[in-house]
Amino acid sequence: MGFTGLALGAMLFRDARADSVSGRTGPQSGPHLPQRAKRVIWIFLCGGVSHVESFDIKTELNKYGGKSIEETPYKELLDEKRINQNLVGVNPGHYQRKQLMPLQTGSKKYGQSGLEVSDWFANIGECADDLAVVRSLWTIHNDHGTQLTWHTGRHPRDGAFPTIGSWASYGLGTMNQNLPDYVVLGVPTGDCCGGEWTHGAGYLGPQYAGVRLNVGGANPLPFVVPPSGQILPEEQAGEFSLLGKLNTLSGIDYPDDKSLRARIKSYELAFGMQAAIPEVLDLKTETAETQNLYGMDDKTTQPFGQLCLSARRLVEKGVRFVQIFHGGGGGGAWDAHGELKANHSKLSAQVDKPIAGLLKDLKRRGLLDDTLVVWGTEFGRTPAAQGTGRDHHPQGFTCWLAGGGIKGGVTHGATDELGFFAVESPHYVTDIHATVLHQLGLDPESLEVPGRRRLNIDIGRPITEIIA
Amino acid sequence: MGDSWMLGARHRILTGLLLLLLADFAVARPPYKQALKRAFGDSLPQAMHACSTCHLTRQQVDNPAEFDEAAPPHNLFGIRLAKLGDELRSRNAAADIIARLDQIVQEDSDGDGIPNVVEMVSAHNPGLASDKPTAEEIAATTKAIEELARRRSGYRWEPFQPVKGAAVPVARRPEWNVNPIDRLIAAEHEVRGLSPRPEASKAVLLRRVTIDLTGLPPTADELDAFLADSSPNAYQKVVDRLLDSPQFGERWGRHWMDVWRYSDWAGWTDGKQIRDSQPHIWRWRDWIVESLNDDKPYDQMVREMLAADELSPTDNSSLRATGFLARNYKMLSRETWMQDTVNHTLQAFLGLTVGCARCHDHLYDTISQEEYYRLRSIFEPHQVRIDRVPAEADTTKDGLCRIYDAELTVATYFFRKGDDRDPDKDRPIGPGVLKLLGNIPFEIKPVPLPAEVYYPGLQTHVRSQLRAAAEKEISTTAAELAKAKDEAKNAAKVAASPLDVGTADSARVKESLAELIATAARLRSESITARIAADDAKYSAPPSAIAYHLAVAANKADREAAFAQSLVDVAKANLKRVAALIALKPDNEKLKQAVDAAEKALTEATQKRDAADKARQDASDAYDPLTPVYPSESTGRRTAFARWITDRNNPLTARVAVNQIWLRHFGHALLPTVLDFGQNGQPPTHPALLDWLAAELMSPSVASAKPWSMKHIHRQIVTSMTYRMASTPDEQNLAVDPDNQWLWRMPSRRMEAELVRDGILFAAGKLDLTMGGPDIDYNDGLKVNRRSLYFRHAQEKQMEFLKIFDCAAVTECYQRKESIVPQQALALANSELTLVQARIIARRLHATCVNDDIGFVQAAYKQVLSRTPTSDEMITSLAFFIQQNRTLNAAGEKIIQTGGAIDDTAKPASNPILRVRENFVHVLLNHNDFVTIR
Repeated sequence: MGFTGLALGAMLFRDARADSVSGRTGPQSGPHLPQRAKRVIWIFLCGGVSHVESFDIKTELNKYGGKSIEETPYKELLDEKRINQNLVGVNPGHYQRKQLMPLQTGSKKYGQSGLEVSDWFANIGECADDLAVVRSLWTIHNDHGTQLTWHTGRHPRDGAFPTIGSWASYGLGTMNQNLPDYVVLGVPTGDCCGGEWTHGAGYLGPQYAGVRLNVGGANPLPFVVPPSGQILPEEQAGEFSLLGKLNTLSGIDYPDDKSLRARIKSYELAFGMQAAIPEVLDLKTETAETQNLYGMDDKTTQPFGQLCLSARRLVEKGVRFVQIFHGGGGGGAWDAHGELKANHSKLSAQVDKPIAGLLKDLKRRGLLDDTLVVWGTEFGRTPAAQGTGRDHHPQGFTCWLAGGGIKGGVTHGATDELGFFAVESPHYVTDIHATVLHQLGLDPESLEVPGRRRLNIDIGRPITEIIA
Repeated sequence: MGDSWMLGARHRILTGLLLLLLADFAVARPPYKQALKRAFGDSLPQAMHACSTCHLTRQQVDNPAEFDEAAPPHNLFGIRLAKLGDELRSRNAAADIIARLDQIVQEDSDGDGIPNVVEMVSAHNPGLASDKPTAEEIAATTKAIEELARRRSGYRWEPFQPVKGAAVPVARRPEWNVNPIDRLIAAEHEVRGLSPRPEASKAVLLRRVTIDLTGLPPTADELDAFLADSSPNAYQKVVDRLLDSPQFGERWGRHWMDVWRYSDWAGWTDGKQIRDSQPHIWRWRDWIVESLNDDKPYDQMVREMLAADELSPTDNSSLRATGFLARNYKMLSRETWMQDTVNHTLQAFLGLTVGCARCHDHLYDTISQEEYYRLRSIFEPHQVRIDRVPAEADTTKDGLCRIYDAELTVATYFFRKGDDRDPDKDRPIGPGVLKLLGNIPFEIKPVPLPAEVYYPGLQTHVRSQLRAAAEKEISTTAAELAKAKDEAKNAAKVAASPLDVGTADSARVKESLAELIATAARLRSESITARIAADDAKYSAPPSAIAYHLAVAANKADREAAFAQSLVDVAKANLKRVAALIALKPDNEKLKQAVDAAEKALTEATQKRDAADKARQDASDAYDPLTPVYPSESTGRRTAFARWITDRNNPLTARVAVNQIWLRHFGHALLPTVLDFGQNGQPPTHPALLDWLAAELMSPSVASAKPWSMKHIHRQIVTSMTYRMASTPDEQNLAVDPDNQWLWRMPSRRMEAELVRDGILFAAGKLDLTMGGPDIDYNDGLKVNRRSLYFRHAQEKQMEFLKIFDCAAVTECYQRKESIVPQQALALANSELTLVQARIIARRLHATCVNDDIGFVQAAYKQVLSRTPTSDEMITSLAFFIQQNRTLNAAGEKIIQTGGAIDDTAKPASNPILRVRENFVHVLLNHNDFVTIR
C-alpha cells in the first residue's frame, strides 16, 4: 500500500494551507520553547463541581453551617459590587446565596504534601503528591455557558473561538499518522452552554477542531468504516491503491500542486484511521489488572473508566490533545442545586477511581513525565445553601494539573475562609490555557492568526509557580 | 501576576480591545504606521514600520524622565510631516498622511545629505541625522526605489472616493487586448515579465465554467456537444446557456447566502423555542435564488433586503428579502441582535468593520463611536413578525417572515465604552451615516403604510382563514354536542338501575359542557363576522357612516363570545376540581395539593367569568381587532439608509460587490480582506481592475446590459482570457510570482461542500432539481436527493457531510475555507452516498459496454471527471480491473453473500466483473480531480 511512515500532520497541512486562498500563513512551527509536555489529557466535569467539597476544603463552613454569612465574621463578603465585578451577561436566576451549608462530606490529608482532599475524591487523593491544585480561579459568567469560557476564554455571547485543544494542535501539528491530533471523548456540554464550540477551532478552521470519538458506541467516528456489507476490506484496499496511483498520475500536469499531495496523504491517513481508531478503542487488549485500575470491573466506574483508559491509549499512539467530558449534555450532571450530597456522592463515585487510575497508569508507564493532565469544571458552588444544594459560583473555584513538567504536591492561590472569592493569586481561566501551552513549548503570545487579533484575556499568562 | 489580572476584569472584557489598542495607540499610532505601509508597500523595511520613524524615543530625548509615552515628541521627519499637514489643511488641500509623504519623500528632513526616501528604504531614520546609510546601502536601494516610483506613479487606490472607473491600457498580446479585464491583468504581467498560461483545454474549460456558474459538472452529452462545436462562439453559447439556467441562481444564491449570513432557525424543542433567526426564512433564500436568476439589479436587491417593508409594503414577494435582517434575531439578547445587524450589514455591503466603534472611535478608519450609534439608531425601531400566508393559517407551520418598524420613537443611547449596561441617557443618538464615505444624500421620510399592511386582519386570506376556522369549530362542536346528547340519552336508559346513577350524571355533565362549548363556538363565529363588518366600515375610505354602530355591535359580539368562553372555562375547571376531590385519599399530600391547585384554578376561572360578564355591559366601540395591529407608519430610516448604500456615489458598495464576485470566480479576491476595505485591510492587487469592474457594474459599457446587472459582470469575467487560462504551472512564472497573485494562471480550487454532494448525485443522474420550498431536515442529506442549499443550515443544525467539507459557518462566512482533512476522505470513501451512486453510474455505463473495459474506463472518466483518461491512466485502470477481479475471485463466497442483483442498487453486484467496475467508479468519485476545479 505504501502507507509508510510519512511526515504528515503539520508539514502536510502547512503545505496545503500555504496554497490556500486566504493568504494566511500556516500554523506556527512550534515549539517555541523547551517542551515539557508532549500531550495533554483535559478532563472536564460538566455542571460545576463544588470546590469546597473537593480540593479546596473549607472547614469554616462546618463551624458556621446554618448561619447567614451576615452573622459570621465574613459578612463583608456580601459586597454586591465585588460579587458582580467580573461577571458579564449574568443570569439573575443565580443570585448569591447567604445561608451557609456545612460540608456534605469529610476530608483527609494525603501524601507527603498533606494535600487535603474530600472523601469523594479519595482515590485521586492518593495521587496528591503528583497534583498542583490551583484554588484561585474565577470566571466571567454565572451560568453554564461558562463551560465555553473554560475552553476558549470567551463568553458564550462572543460566539465561537479556538479552544485550547485546537491551539495545541495548530501550534504543534501531529505526532502520528493514523489518528487525529485532537480527540474528544464523552458527551460534550449541551447546546445551551457552548455545545460543539467547546471543542471547536473557531477561526483556525475545522482541521484543528476536536474529533469526537464515540467510545463504546457502534460507530466511533462518522464514516470511519463503510456500512456493513457494502464493501469488503480487501476490495477497499484495492480501491485505495488504485486511487493513490490515479491521483499521482493526474498530478503530472500539476507538479507544484500542494493540495493534491495533501489529498493523497489525507487518504493514506484516512485509510490508517479506519483500522487505527477501532484498534485504539479496543480495550480488550489491556490486562485485567490495568482495566481494573480504571474501574472497568465495576459498572459504576466502567463508563468513565473506558474513557480514561482510551485517553491513555490515544496519547500513547501520539494523539496530542484528548478532551474528556463527564456529565455532559444540558447544563451538566454536576449541577447540584439540590441534594448535593446525593449528587456529588454518585458522580464522584463514577469518576474518582478512573481518574486516579489514569494518573497511576500514566506514571508507571513513564508517560506522566511528558503528559499533562488537567482536571476542571466551569465554576465552583456557593458556600451557602440552595435548599439541600449549592448554587453556581464563578467568583472562586478550583482545578488541578498533574504531570508534564508541573510540580507535584503543591497548591497555588487561595480563596477566602469561606471559599467565596479567589483572594490569593487569582487567575482567570485562560491562565490555565497559557500554562498548558507553555508546557507544550508554545508561547501563547505568538499564537496568532493574521487578521485575528487576540486580547490579553484570550491569551492569559502561565502560572509559573506551579511549573517544575 | 494574578492580582493585577483580577482588577476590573469585567471592564477588561468589555473594553479589552480598547485597552489593548490604546496601549498600542500610545506608542504606535496604528493608522499612521499603516499609512507608511500603504505608501511604501513592500519597500518599507520592518524597522521603518515603527513609531520611531516619526517620533523620538525615550533614549533620544534630552530629558528621559519627562518623556511622555502617550505623546512622544516628533523627530525632524515627524515635525516636517506635521507642519506640512497644517499647511495643506490651511489651503484646504488633501492632507492625509499619504499625500504628505508623497510631497516630502525626496526632501532631506534631518539634513544629513541623504533624501528621506533613500533613508526609509535602506532602513535608516529619515528624522535623525546621526543615522544614515553607507554608500553600499545607498547603491542597494536603487531597485526598491524604482519599484516605489512605479507604485507611486501607478493607479491610486482610493476606496473612499467615488468610483470613476479606470483607464484601460493596451495589451501587447492581441487576444489579451479585447476584454478590459484582460488588458488590466496583462498590464501587471508585462511589468513583471510574466507570461499568461495558454487557454485551458476545452474539457477543462467546460467543467470549470459549468461548475462555476451552476454548481454542477457538465453532463457527458454537454461535453460531447462542446467538443464537437468548432464555431468561434462555441464558448459564448455555453456561457449564455449557463447564465440562463435556473441552476445559476442556486449556485450564486448559495454564494450570496454566505455573504449575507443565511441561517435557518436555530433553537430547541422542535422549533417551539426559536433562539436564532426565524422559521420560514427559506422564503428569503428563494427570493435570493429567483432574484439572481431574474438578474435583478444588485442595488435593488440591497434596497429590498434592508427596506422592502417600506419600499413595497404590499409586495409579499419582495418582503421576503427582509429575511436579511430577520436572520439576526436573537432570543437571548436584543443587544447581540443589534450588534450583529450593524456589524454585518456594514461588512456585507460596504466592507467596513464598524464593530470596533461600539466601544471607541475606530482606530484605523475615521468612524467615531457616535457614528456607530447613529447606524444603530437606523435599526433600533425594527422587529420581526410572521404574517399569514394564504395556504396556511398556522404561522408556526408556515408564514411570511419579515421585518417592520415596531417602535417608532425608541431612543438609541450612547453606551459608555460600549457597555450596554451603561447607556448615557443624556445622549440620545439619532439615525445617521458615515461621513467617511463622502457627502451622499441621507434623507429620512416617514412611510405611511396601507391599512392591510399594518392590520393583517383586513387581508382577504386572513379573513377567510378566520372564517373557515370558526365554521369548522362550529361544525365539530355541534357534532360533539350531538354525540354527547346521544350518550346522555343512552346513559339515562342504563341508569334505570339505581346502582348506576354516576354514569348518567357524568354524561349529563358532559352534555352540558358540550353545549357550552358549542355556544361559545357559535358566538365566536358571530363575533368574527361582526368584527369583519366593523373593519370594513372603519377602514373604508372615507370611513362609513355606520362605522361607529358596527364597531359597537362588534364589541358586543366579541364580549358575548368571551363570556361564553369563560363559562366553558369555569365548567372545565369545576370538572377538574371534582375529579381531584374524587381522587383524594387521606394522608396523601400530593393529592391534597392537586385539590388545592384545582380549587385555585376554579376560583381564577370564576373571577375571569365575572369580569367577562361585567365586560358585557361595555357599550363602547373598542372591539378587539382580528389580528395584531402594527404601527401605521414606518420610520423610513432603513429606506434612507438603503438609498445611501446604493447611491452611485457611495464609494464602497460596488467595489465590495465585485470583489466578492471575483473571489468566487477565481478563489482569490482582488482585495484579499473581503470584509475590510478600510485602512486596516489589505490593498487590492489590481486596484484599477477592481475600480473598472465596480464602474462596469453600475454603468455597463455594453448597451444591452442593465445598470447593476450581476450577470453582465459574470459574463465579462468568464469570457475573459484571464478566466480561460490553464491552471498548469510554469517554472519561470513560479519563480517570479509563486503565489500567483498576478494571475498568470487560473487558480485550482476545491469544490465547496454543497458541490461535492450535489456533484456526486448529479453524476449519477439522481439529483432532484426541484427548486425552492421549506428547508429540508439536515439529517436527511444522504437520503433526500435535493440540492444541498435547500437543507436546513443553522447553528447545530447542519448536515454532517457538508460540515466535513467546510460548508459556511452559520454565524459568518465571507470566505469559505478549503481544508483537506482525512475525515473528508472517510466521508467520500465510506458514505453510502458515494457507494450507492457509484453503483448506479457503473451499472448504467456497464450496459453500454459489457465486454469493453476500455470503453468503460473512457465512459466513466467522462461521466465522473468530464474528461478522457490519459494512456497511463488507461493502463493503470485496466491493470486494476485484472488485479481487483483476482481479489474478488479470491474472496469468492463473500462476494456472493454480500452482493445483490443488478437492479438492486442497495447492494454491491454479485457479479465480479460488474463489481470491479463499481469499485472503479467509486474510486473516480474519490479522485482528486472530482473535488478539484482546474
